[in-house]
Amino acid sequence: MPDNISFTIDGQEVTGKPGQTVLQAAMDSGLYIPYLCYFPKMKPYGACRACVVQTEMGERKSIVASCTTPIAPGLVVDSKTEQVTDLRRGIIELLMAEHPHGCLTCHRVELCGPQDICQRHVSVTDRCTICPKNERCELKDTVRSVELDLRTPLNYHRRNLPIHTDDPFYDRDYNLCIVCARCVRVCEEVRFDNAITLTNRSGVALVGTSRGESLLESGCEFCGACIDVCPTGALVERDYKWEKAARQVTTICTNCPVGCQMVAEVNRFNKVVRFIGDLAGESNNGQACWKGKFAYDYPNHKSRLKYPYVREGGILKRVTWEQALDRIAAGFGDRDGSKVAVIASPRGSNEDNYVAQKFARSVLKTDNVDTALNLTPRVASTLQKRFGSAGSTNPIWDLEGSKCVMVVSGNPTEEQNVLAVPLKKAARAGAHVIVIDPRETELTRYASDWIRPKPGTEHILLVGMARTIIDEALEHKEYVSSRCSGIDELKRSLWKFDLSAVSRVTGVEDTIIREVARNFAKKAPASILFGVDTVPVDLHGALTDAILNLSLITGNVGVKSGGVFPLYAGANTLGSLDAGCSPMAERGTDLTVEPGLNGATPPPMRDGVADLFAGMRSGEIEAAIVMADGMNPGAGPLGDAASALRSLDFLVVSAVFDDEVTAAADVVLPASTYTEQTGTLTNLERRVQLIRTAWTPRNEERSGWQTFASLARRMEAEGFDFQDSGGVFEELASVVPGYAGLSHDRLEAGGIQTPCPSSDSPGAAMLHAEEPDDDAGRLAIVPLPFIGAAAPSSDLVLAPGRVLSQPDKPVQVTRRGDMNYLHRVEVVKVHEEDAKAMSLMEGDAVEALDDHGSRLAVGVASLGSPQPGLISVTTLFAEVALGMHDADSPDPSPRIPGLPLQPVRLVKAADLAAYAVSSD
Amino acid sequence: MSTAFEELTNRAAGRWQELTDGAEPWIRVGGGVSGQAAGSDEIFTSVLESLDRFDVSARVSRVGSLGLMYLEPIVDVTLPGGSRVFYGNVTKDIANQIIERHAGGGSPVTSRAFAFEGEKTGGLEGVPRLEDLPEFRAQVRIATRNCGRIDPYDILQYAAHGGYSALEKALFRMTPEQALDEVKASGLRGRGGAAFPTGVKWSFLAPSKAPDKYVLCNCEEGDPGAFNDKGILESDPHTLIEGMILNGYATNSNYGYVFIRHGHDIPIEATRHAVGQAYEHGLLGKNILGSGFSFDLEVALTGDSYVAGEETALMEAIEGKRSLPRYKPPFPAAAGLWQKPSNINNVKTLAYVPQIVFNGGKWFKSIGTESSAGTAIVCLTGHIKRPGMYEVPMGMSIREVLEQVGGGVSPGKRIKVLQTGGPLGGVLGDESFDVKIDFDEMSKAGAILGSGGIIVGNETVDVVDLIRALVAFNQYESCGKCFPCRLGNTHMLETLDRLCKYEAKPADLKLMDRIGESMKLGSLCGHGQLGYNPVASALKYFEEEFRVRLRVTQPEGKSTNGSMILPTRTRP
Repeated sequence: MPDNISFTIDGQEVTGKPGQTVLQAAMDSGLYIPYLCYFPKMKPYGACRACVVQTEMGERKSIVASCTTPIAPGLVVDSKTEQVTDLRRGIIELLMAEHPHGCLTCHRVELCGPQDICQRHVSVTDRCTICPKNERCELKDTVRSVELDLRTPLNYHRRNLPIHTDDPFYDRDYNLCIVCARCVRVCEEVRFDNAITLTNRSGVALVGTSRGESLLESGCEFCGACIDVCPTGALVERDYKWEKAARQVTTICTNCPVGCQMVAEVNRFNKVVRFIGDLAGESNNGQACWKGKFAYDYPNHKSRLKYPYVREGGILKRVTWEQALDRIAAGFGDRDGSKVAVIASPRGSNEDNYVAQKFARSVLKTDNVDTALNLTPRVASTLQKRFGSAGSTNPIWDLEGSKCVMVVSGNPTEEQNVLAVPLKKAARAGAHVIVIDPRETELTRYASDWIRPKPGTEHILLVGMARTIIDEALEHKEYVSSRCSGIDELKRSLWKFDLSAVSRVTGVEDTIIREVARNFAKKAPASILFGVDTVPVDLHGALTDAILNLSLITGNVGVKSGGVFPLYAGANTLGSLDAGCSPMAERGTDLTVEPGLNGATPPPMRDGVADLFAGMRSGEIEAAIVMADGMNPGAGPLGDAASALRSLDFLVVSAVFDDEVTAAADVVLPASTYTEQTGTLTNLERRVQLIRTAWTPRNEERSGWQTFASLARRMEAEGFDFQDSGGVFEELASVVPGYAGLSHDRLEAGGIQTPCPSSDSPGAAMLHAEEPDDDAGRLAIVPLPFIGAAAPSSDLVLAPGRVLSQPDKPVQVTRRGDMNYLHRVEVVKVHEEDAKAMSLMEGDAVEALDDHGSRLAVGVASLGSPQPGLISVTTLFAEVALGMHDADSPDPSPRIPGLPLQPVRLVKAADLAAYAVSSD
Repeated sequence: MSTAFEELTNRAAGRWQELTDGAEPWIRVGGGVSGQAAGSDEIFTSVLESLDRFDVSARVSRVGSLGLMYLEPIVDVTLPGGSRVFYGNVTKDIANQIIERHAGGGSPVTSRAFAFEGEKTGGLEGVPRLEDLPEFRAQVRIATRNCGRIDPYDILQYAAHGGYSALEKALFRMTPEQALDEVKASGLRGRGGAAFPTGVKWSFLAPSKAPDKYVLCNCEEGDPGAFNDKGILESDPHTLIEGMILNGYATNSNYGYVFIRHGHDIPIEATRHAVGQAYEHGLLGKNILGSGFSFDLEVALTGDSYVAGEETALMEAIEGKRSLPRYKPPFPAAAGLWQKPSNINNVKTLAYVPQIVFNGGKWFKSIGTESSAGTAIVCLTGHIKRPGMYEVPMGMSIREVLEQVGGGVSPGKRIKVLQTGGPLGGVLGDESFDVKIDFDEMSKAGAILGSGGIIVGNETVDVVDLIRALVAFNQYESCGKCFPCRLGNTHMLETLDRLCKYEAKPADLKLMDRIGESMKLGSLCGHGQLGYNPVASALKYFEEEFRVRLRVTQPEGKSTNGSMILPTRTRP
């Protein structure tokens, strides 16, 4: 590490790191140099020239932009000479001649505050109210800091451009744009979407979309990064556009397991009015996604449940908490542990989940407890068993440095969005990307190798890769011999995976399997992101084993920028497993109901939440408590969850809103949301992060742990006298070994990655970084059986794909009301054999129908599906964004459809024109 | 000498012999952009028709431009073993006569010939030698030595004139260091505008051990009134290619790009064809002439953008991005094209290199002045008798160039204003016409030699209108990245518009100064930094004309925007 560099700014001694620019070093030292186009964590751009300073190096004096000037020992920087300040004013003066600045010339500039009512003292065309960023405008602050004389002789020009309000989520008012290109740069160099670009040049240079007019067709992923960096009111979130923040609360997004640290802006009526990616967030580095950015405001909704209700005579009647608890206690009575279940919220904090499972086990005497989105328990348990943690081995942003990234059966861009950001960055830097997925996803665009095996044979393909690596002696021998065990058993098990057999089963040519295997083995460090979106549930464990083996034999576990990343659903899937909120045995903490409790032999453990719902459908489970916040109540991954819940004898639902689930409930309890509680979430990289209270509950809402604790107390159980969530966490930390060193106080300063065994441990950024001391510490490579290769069925399977843009396919953007909608003819890709079988010609109109005859896809047939039996249709992401934008539900994000494979029938459609797919 | 090269030179000598002393007359039709503009395409067709009509058999070639653009279209005839006789301002009729009487009949059409070259043969009474023409006498043709003489599509004709012998010399008899030392010793300075010593620039790149290094050639040449880069490429592209290979050799770089502005079709085609030929002859590619040195060259194009000629914007353009200038440092020698060490030179600069390597740096240094060695390739346009491209030694005064080479203005008029070095250059008034053509002298006088364009204006030119046109160009061509240039040019243009419309206030002159100061000190690249030059230099020489616009009201019949209405991109 080279030494820090000392130099002076305005006579003050400053030290900076090598490679820093003057502006960065000044910012780190708390010195302010005005700037507009620079933005932290982005490359300097050098356009606004507001950051000009005078530098002196030996005899040589020059005027330079501090954002692009590297620091050097002995450099003398002066940011306040008369020439420099005058030049800076001269430049900003030019800028202000085309930016409405009534906010600055108004005599109330000092008095003006959030949502201030005033007699407006500036002209109508220029008044502050045309700008939604009044009082939170970076440009305004900058202009004021340079003490600009606004009586400029320059001609003021108002652009009078139309404001774009017809795309989802964003309002774009280019009348306020200063062309600093922050938005364009963040889209290009941080998000890699290139959805927006600079248009035209010279005085008419402005920002626009890359293709056409609407963001719907430009490849926008609606991540909102451009809004977060905009220094003016040009780009803003449409919702709460005019709202001013009274305070900011740092919290964690609860929409997915990335756990982005966000700054929630809360107005003085206690509403979250904005959600901004926090640059200090270690899991997200300031980034967020469409869900995080635009689906945060359900706590504000006026239709929230406020009071407890009990169903009497078919009607929910408002009651007190005490009455409700009485009813619940009576409802559960002394039902047998095997006949009850507790479904925790996927958004629930570790505290909620800990108390939920404690309640289930110690009060209801059951292991039937799980979160509603713990859909892949076999992935988690395999990881837990083999690697000691169900989380990723490496931190998320480690992916930046990977030389090879393999994505298996997952769609991180949509499901774990920010995880894809460092992945794309690695791809841009030349990393080899391998995507194994029959579906076309955003990441297939980045893939050097896109392998589309027959669905359900992914694990065999992966073992085939391992076979190639062993056959060609490409395994990392030193790593395997010093860190792993079981390589010989693996080798012996591989004889069954003859590549021609693997090729026959997976439908992927053996030469391609070999090529991909070589690519993966030779490009180190390599990381693997894996989901099980296209994998049948009984093969989840096999797939995970195959992945872990592959990562181990190539020496990528415990290596920077290597490792494996399980793609979970649910914001706190990992934390709930850690807290014991799952029926599984392998979860780090053994909290299972012991034999003899309740005087009976415990039933065999159920296999995760899907099995719990199966139990409800079959009648084995009769009563349940469901924490419904963040659960998909409709037809989601759990099937029709609401109908399963309706079949229960007794159902308690703690919910934020009245919906299908509460309709089935006997008791409804009002749940508090992430804004009304303090708690912790554990993201997929094992980082425990703090959600902070933005306001206390307005009515009678209670958090998950409060609900369970009060119920437990009502049912006269001991050990539920928690003071606050910090107290719950204290108990959790004392039970869960990896959490022993953590406390709410410690987490105030930022998230810490588990395992963190003691209060002086910094946490573990990476698992298995050290070589094992003894054989017991070795990572096991396990032999693999050749399973799951059942005879191919004659059914057709639809593999729905979704990408950000398809520039080669025509899209029509139509307007309905105030909004843009997409309209285009989809392409249904069919394998030649299947086409022949149903005498389908290229260009025929076809429909894909599910069992119930509902149409899943429609479009023109095109030959070119890689596998017989596989039908694929790729739609545009913008349709989903529009769907979320237009959703009736106050909390739309849990209901966003994923991309599940589905059995379909293919029928010829009579008239294609009638079927042109439109997002209206 | 490598056998491959020997074979090339032998074939080249044979080809030249065949052309000049073969069985048939050789007719060369001047082409290039200027020739084409004057109608040389039609003349070429009519020459072919005449040959048919009079049943004369002859070889016909299209050559580049001699630089005598006021005489275009030019046709010349060389009878086997005879002298080369030039005919200027050729029409179809004249072409007919030339073919019938000279090519067919063997006797020159003396009345139509303006010069001849080579041994004087009969029938050329009263026709001067080419080198005796006043505009030729003052010239020292180094970079343009082959222009108008050889067919740019024939590598053998180039080789017949000593082409690629500098490369052969460097590859087989010089180390890269020696080649670089010759360039350093020559005192050659960049002809692109900044006048940075070329050898020094190369020596920034040479020591880098990076495996991929790039040498780039800039032929964006978007300056109105400048056409010498294009002139060289369309007339003698191999000179540039040889210069670039030498540049690569001297700096141990193996890749090159010639960057030409999209739309310069004739130079683009000529260069592409020449690159192909050089590959065919083993002068580009792997192991050039068996020397072990490899060099690959590609022609890259940009869209319609003046700023793409800025060196870093040019690299962005080659990389396929929007051509916006980058900030510096890092400088191209550290991180240029594709973030690899790079060197970039103008066409003219590189065109000197073969001659410098062949004849030695001392020889070049002896031409021109102490601080500005060599020649200046000037493009004379505007109110002058003999517009064209001329290569004159540094140190001639501008007045000498205008009068001896350019032939002065029409009788009864006087030269009032010169616009030099492109629209970012500036204007010169009468009192500085005696300034020498020399980088330092000219910049002292408040103008730059830049690309070498000199636009001459006589007393009918309204300087305020002229400046408005220049600023309008600069404004239109700003890339829009940095604020001072994007906004400053717009406001500058608006202020000038007010002046042109006689609507300005006295404070406007001060305002322009303030805007100009922000642009000069604040801008990211040269486009903005130099953007105030036209106004500043005009205020220096012609302040009164600006003041008049403040005092008087609009005269009857005087247009408000001057004679030049240019497109603008002022406001979104």
